[in-house]
Amino acid sequence: MGLTPQAEVCHSEVCLLTQMPDELKTNNILVVDDSPTMRRMVITSLGSLRSVKSTQAGTGLEAIERLAIEPVDLMVLDLNMPDMHGMEVIGFVRSHQAYRDIPIVVLTTKGEESSRREALAAGANRYLTKPFDPRQLADVVGSLLRAT
Amino acid sequence: MDTPNPDNRGEFFDQFLDDYYAECDEHLFSIRRSLVALEDEVDTRTVDRTVLDNLFRSFHTVKGISGMVGLGAAEQLAHHLESYLRELREGTVVLSESGVEVLSAGVSLLEGVINARRNDQPIPSIDEIIERLKAISSDSAPSNIKTSTTSEPETSESDATAARWLVEFTPTAELAERGVNVNSVRSRLQEIGHLIQAKPVVRGAGEIAFEFIIATNADKTDLEADGLTFKPAPVETARRVKDTQPVSTIVPASVVRVDLDRLDELMRIIGELVISRTRLEDQVAELKRETPAAVWRSLHETSSIMGRQLRNLRDSVMRVRMVQLGEIFERMTFVVRDLARESGKKIIVELSGGATEIDKFLVERMMDPLMHLVRNAVSHGLETVAEREAQGKRSEGLLSLSAMTAGEMIVIKIADDGRGIDRNLVLERASARGLSHGNSEFDDAALLELICTPGFSTREEADRESGRGVGMDVVKKAAVELGGRISLATKIGEGTSFTIELPLTLAIAEALIVSVNDQRFAVPQSAVREVLEVESASTKALENNEIISYRGKVLPLLRLARVFEMNYQRADSFHVLVIGEEANAVGLAVDRIIGQREIVVRAIKDPLAQSKGIAGATELGDQRVVLILDTTALRQLAATSKH
Repeated sequence: MGLTPQAEVCHSEVCLLTQMPDELKTNNILVVDDSPTMRRMVITSLGSLRSVKSTQAGTGLEAIERLAIEPVDLMVLDLNMPDMHGMEVIGFVRSHQAYRDIPIVVLTTKGEESSRREALAAGANRYLTKPFDPRQLADVVGSLLRAT
Repeated sequence: MDTPNPDNRGEFFDQFLDDYYAECDEHLFSIRRSLVALEDEVDTRTVDRTVLDNLFRSFHTVKGISGMVGLGAAEQLAHHLESYLRELREGTVVLSESGVEVLSAGVSLLEGVINARRNDQPIPSIDEIIERLKAISSDSAPSNIKTSTTSEPETSESDATAARWLVEFTPTAELAERGVNVNSVRSRLQEIGHLIQAKPVVRGAGEIAFEFIIATNADKTDLEADGLTFKPAPVETARRVKDTQPVSTIVPASVVRVDLDRLDELMRIIGELVISRTRLEDQVAELKRETPAAVWRSLHETSSIMGRQLRNLRDSVMRVRMVQLGEIFERMTFVVRDLARESGKKIIVELSGGATEIDKFLVERMMDPLMHLVRNAVSHGLETVAEREAQGKRSEGLLSLSAMTAGEMIVIKIADDGRGIDRNLVLERASARGLSHGNSEFDDAALLELICTPGFSTREEADRESGRGVGMDVVKKAAVELGGRISLATKIGEGTSFTIELPLTLAIAEALIVSVNDQRFAVPQSAVREVLEVESASTKALENNEIISYRGKVLPLLRLARVFEMNYQRADSFHVLVIGEEANAVGLAVDRIIGQREIVVRAIKDPLAQSKGIAGATELGDQRVVLILDTTALRQLAATSKH
C-alpha cells in the first residue's frame, strides 16, 4: 500500500508531497446511507480529518459497486437501507479476500440493541448510533485509519 | 474556511436544516402515497409487504435525521410510528381501519411538527397520538381484517410466459464515468421487464459483478448494453430466489437537489449574457460598412453561433427548473381524501396531464392557490351523497385535475360536477357587503370578478377546509402576478371549473421591439397574432374609437401613445399589432417595428413605478431601459373604453 517516492526532479508542490509520503496518502472513506442529508452530515463531520476524501453510496449495492471502482480505506455504514441491508454488506465485504481488511464503522439509528451484537459479530470494527457526535465520529474514524 | 465548529453540535447541524426539510418533504410525500395504498388494501383485506417496508423505512429515516437536527418531537413521533410499522411487519398486530386512521393522524402531526420548526412556531403536542399509537400496538383483539403480510412480489400477468434471463454487470471506473452503474443498469432492466433478483458476486481475483435475474418478453437485443452479459436463467435458481428474497422495486434516483436560489442566480447570469450578446450583435452590425466582407461574415457567423449556444444553455437551465405537475396533483389527492373522510362525501379524483412540466418557481407560488381551489371544490362545490342521490346524480362526486401546455402557456383546470355557483347568492352577498358590479350582464367573468374581490366569501364563516388564509382574491392575484390569468365556468346543478393559465417559464421571452414617439417598448411575441401596416387614411372613427377593417371584421385600435399619454404626430402610415382572439382582438397602434429580440424580463417591484399596461422592464444592450407591455391588461383597457 505504501507510496513509491518519486525520484525525478520536480517542482515545488510535487516535491513537497514526495517528501512527506504520510501526508500524501489520501484515505478514501465510503459513506453509505440511504439519506442524502445524513450522508452530508457524516461527510462534513469527517472534514476535520486530514488527508481524507469521501465518496458516497445510497444503497448497499451501490456501496459494493464503489469497492469495484476505486480502493476504499474505510466504510461508514448505515444498517437499515433499501434493497441490501447493511448486515449483508458487512457479510459480503468480510467474506471476500480482496475487501476483508477494510475497517467498517456502523452508524445506525439508536434503538435496536441486538443489532450492536450482530454487527460486531459479523465483523464491524465499531458500532456508533445516531444521533451521532461529529467529533466522536471523526475520532473513531481517525484512529481506525491510523491503525491500518 | 468557515466550517462551523463541530464541538458546538447545535450550530453544526443547523447548516443542514434546509436539506433536512427537503428530505422530510420527500419522505412525507412517499408516506402519504403509501398510506393511500394501505387504505385501499384495508378494503381488500390484504396488506402488501412492500408498502409496509417503504413506510417503515421512511419513518426510520425521518426519525434518524430529526434526531440529528435536534427536533426531538419529530424524532419521538417517527419512532412510535416506526414501532407500530415494525409490529405490523412482524405480524404481531394486524392492521385495522382504526390503525390506518391513527397512522394518518400521526403523519399529519409529524408534518405539523416539522413545519412548526421550519416556521419558528410552537411545536404541537405529540402526547395524545403517541398514546393512541401505543394503545393500538398492544391491541391484540381480533380484527375483522385478514392481514396477510406475506410478501407477494407483484407478478405481472405476463410473468408466467416471460423468459428469464440472468444478466451480469461488471462495473468499472470507465463505465461509471459514462453514467453506467448498478443503479442505471437496474432501472433499465426494470423498464424492460420484471426484476426478480439483484445481488453482488465476486469473481476469481476479487472482481465484483452484479447478477440480475429478470423476467421479460423483450427481445434479446434489448438486453444488449454496455458492460452487460446475459444468458437464460436457470429455472430453479429463479424460483428459489423469488421465494426467499423479494427485491424491492425502489430505484434510488441519481438526483441532485439544488437550491432554487442558485438556479435563479444561474438564470440571472444567463440573462446578463443574453444582454451582452445582443450588444455584441449590434456592434457587429455597425462594423459591416467598415469591415472587409469576408472578415465581417465570419465575425457575424461567430456571433450567431454564440446566440444559438446561449439559447441552448438557457433552454437547458430552464429544463432543470421544470417539475412535473403530477406530484402536485398527487398532493392534492391526499388533501381531497382527508377532506372527503372528514365530510363523509364520496369523491373520485380524475387526473390528466400529470407529465406536464412547469417552472418550479411558478409551482411554489401557485401551490397554495391551487390547493385552495381544490378545497373549495370539495367543501363548497361537491354535494353530499344524499344530496347527489336526491338529484339523480351518481353518488360519487367527480373532481378532475388536468394540465396541458398550449403554446407558451400552461393550462391547469380544476373542475367538479357539483352544485355550481349560485349567482343570486353571490349577488345578494355582494350587495350585503356593499360590493357592486357595474355590469348588468352578469356572465361568468363578472361572477369571477366579484368572488375574487377582497373580503368576499360565500360562507358565513370561512370554514376549516377553505379558510386557510387564502381567499379567491389571493388566488387571482397570484395568477396575475405570475403573468397568468384565471377564468371560471359554472352552471347550477352541473358543476364549476376554474382554469388557470400560466406562462411556462419566466425570465426570458421573445419579444417584438416597437417604437412610439421615439420611445421603445417590448411586446411579448407569444401575445402577437399578426402585424399589419396600415394607411392612416383607412382608419375610421366609431363612437370615439378608431377602427380598421381586418379580415372582414372590425378591429378596434388602441393607440399606445394615447394610453401612455404621449404626444403623437399622425404619420401617413403606422403599424398595428393584433393581440387577442376573435371578438376580443384589439389592434395596438405603434409608429414603427424595430425588430425581434430575446428579452430578459424583470418585474417592476416599486409600486410607484408600476402602471397598468406595463408588465415589466428589460434592457436591450444599450443600457437603456425598455418597458414591456402587458397585453392582457391593454386588451381589458380597450374593452372598458368601449363602454
